[in-house]
Amino acid sequence: MSQSMQANLLSKVASEVFAGVIAPALENAPLIEAAADDVLVREDELVRMERELKRALQKRPAERRWVMVIDLRRCIGCHACTIACVAENKLPPGVVYRPVLTEEIGKYPHVTYRFLPKPCLQCENAPCTPVCPVNATYTNEEGVIVVDYDQCIGCRACISACPYASRTFDFGRNYTDNTVDGLTMTLGSSLAGQYETSGTAFEYGQRRERKHEQSPIGNVRKCHFCLHRIMEGILPACTTTCIGRATFFGDANDPESLVAELIAKPNVMRLKEELGTEPRVYYLV
Amino acid sequence: MIRKLAYLVGSLTLLFGLWGFYDRFAHGHQNANYGSYVVWGLWVAMYLFFAGIAAGGFMIATLDLLFGIKLFKGTGRVALWGSLVCLVAALISIGLDNGHLFRIWKVYLQGNPFSLLFQMVWGYTLFGMISVIALLLASRQPNSPYLKPLMAVGLVFSFFISGAVGALLGVNAARPFWHVGLFPVQFPVFSLASGAAMMLTAIGFFGREDDPNRPQQLWVLSLVSVVLVVVKLYFMWADYSQSMYGNVPMNVQAVRQVLFGEYWWAFWILQILIGSLIPLVFLVQRRYATQNHWAGWMGILLLVGYAVARGLIIFPALTVPELEALVHAFSGPHLTFDYFPSLMEWAVTSGTIGIAILAFLIGSEKLNLFSATPKEA
Repeated sequence: MSQSMQANLLSKVASEVFAGVIAPALENAPLIEAAADDVLVREDELVRMERELKRALQKRPAERRWVMVIDLRRCIGCHACTIACVAENKLPPGVVYRPVLTEEIGKYPHVTYRFLPKPCLQCENAPCTPVCPVNATYTNEEGVIVVDYDQCIGCRACISACPYASRTFDFGRNYTDNTVDGLTMTLGSSLAGQYETSGTAFEYGQRRERKHEQSPIGNVRKCHFCLHRIMEGILPACTTTCIGRATFFGDANDPESLVAELIAKPNVMRLKEELGTEPRVYYLV
Repeated sequence: MIRKLAYLVGSLTLLFGLWGFYDRFAHGHQNANYGSYVVWGLWVAMYLFFAGIAAGGFMIATLDLLFGIKLFKGTGRVALWGSLVCLVAALISIGLDNGHLFRIWKVYLQGNPFSLLFQMVWGYTLFGMISVIALLLASRQPNSPYLKPLMAVGLVFSFFISGAVGALLGVNAARPFWHVGLFPVQFPVFSLASGAAMMLTAIGFFGREDDPNRPQQLWVLSLVSVVLVVVKLYFMWADYSQSMYGNVPMNVQAVRQVLFGEYWWAFWILQILIGSLIPLVFLVQRRYATQNHWAGWMGILLLVGYAVARGLIIFPALTVPELEALVHAFSGPHLTFDYFPSLMEWAVTSGTIGIAILAFLIGSEKLNLFSATPKEA
């Protein structure tokens, strides 16, 4: 069987990951020698998006338009993106930026699941920003809706205004609160708690310790497309963690970018389109 | 006797409230039951309630101090003081609800003028200043040429601050239960009803025994209350019936939550039976309405009904998920669509009520509010 025939077969019957692993064993030929459009050597989407991200960063911020595309057909509901986001931003209990909504369809034995990862949709016509009495939440010049923690008074009007429940309030809890101290440094509120409350998160490029009544405690918090990573040329944590390659991120103003290609497809939808909020998060269905 | 009872109630509620205030400042919002889904709870409802009385109290005060209606002569200062006390209670409630209470100065110096909350903060500030100056003038220089213009401006502000509360909720297009065009019109009516109930209680319980106008004042306030309760019930019928017939799922769910769901008892027993029907039955009868204590107690029942009504505007809209599967999407504290206030929330509300009761009682004595004329003070 020729290499291209094997590739065609594998592309039909196996995932790309599986195909990438097994193909070299089938034929001793190095993959790099295959044709450029060969599915076995097709550039990983993450690599492509990271390359495009760096290209976008060359432009002025106002010329970029960050969007996220989530392919619901690829999402397996593993919640890895949720956890990656929690870890990346050191989110405390009760604060979540990217829950995955799970819907059970049908009745036993004909049951299936549908998953919908839901970050902040970064609406172009956002209902949450005009209600803020102190301009603490606003759309930055790249189109990402951010929260200025030192400005926010914690009135929560923005949470109430958001039609997607994409904002949560930081009530000041910690995972290690009231836990019993262990013998090693990894357990207990006094040792592991020190790490949890230390300023080792890099949200918005700021180091913030979690102290009583100090921001971000008492603030509204939300997904910001991992701006701190983007500025360093790294894709958002949810995107790099997705094992099904279901999440795509990039600059929609770049016509050659993957996300620009994807949002031009006919099978694109956005949540609650009828509200006119113009979300920057697209779903492929 | 009733004054002593009021002092006792005020003291006990404040005593319970002290624990709540301590908990709120020591542990922030951790022990509250509102969360990121039911984002506003008891304190916001009580803010609406107290702010309503504040605006309505001012409206009632204009009967004496702006329009010079003889029957209500001498009641203007009582209404103004009641309004001021409730304004402070409202601001305590909403202030403690904020995540960063001490950043409130930012609204004045770094605010967003297009935000309704910004406009309301400025509105309350100016309204409060007008109320204080009007009370001082009414007490010390009742014939001052500035009093009536001040009351006229204050009347406009009282409509603004009550209408703005309706608008604050009404602009949330994502929540059909609130997104009612008439909300900013309804809220000033609710406020006037609250102000009338507050005056019914104040004059009924603490009015001057030898005041010949007192029975007639109570009768007129009773009739005003009856009319406003009926109007209020009609508004509610209009809102609920349109929601049900319209059949927008989020809206229907919220209405069902009130009528048959988690809050049915609060609606049917507290708001409708105790807060509306019983007062209606007694206040339409002159023999009860003109009896001081009957009128006073009916005023209290009306206020209870109005307070519950505020809660039933706030909570149900928030207990309906924006997206169905959100309920089980992520687990954690404060991530639930069920809401019943925590003990700490009740305690803080109790303390706020205690402060309002004691402040009204002490102020009415110190300012001699129930004297026939300010000169007797």
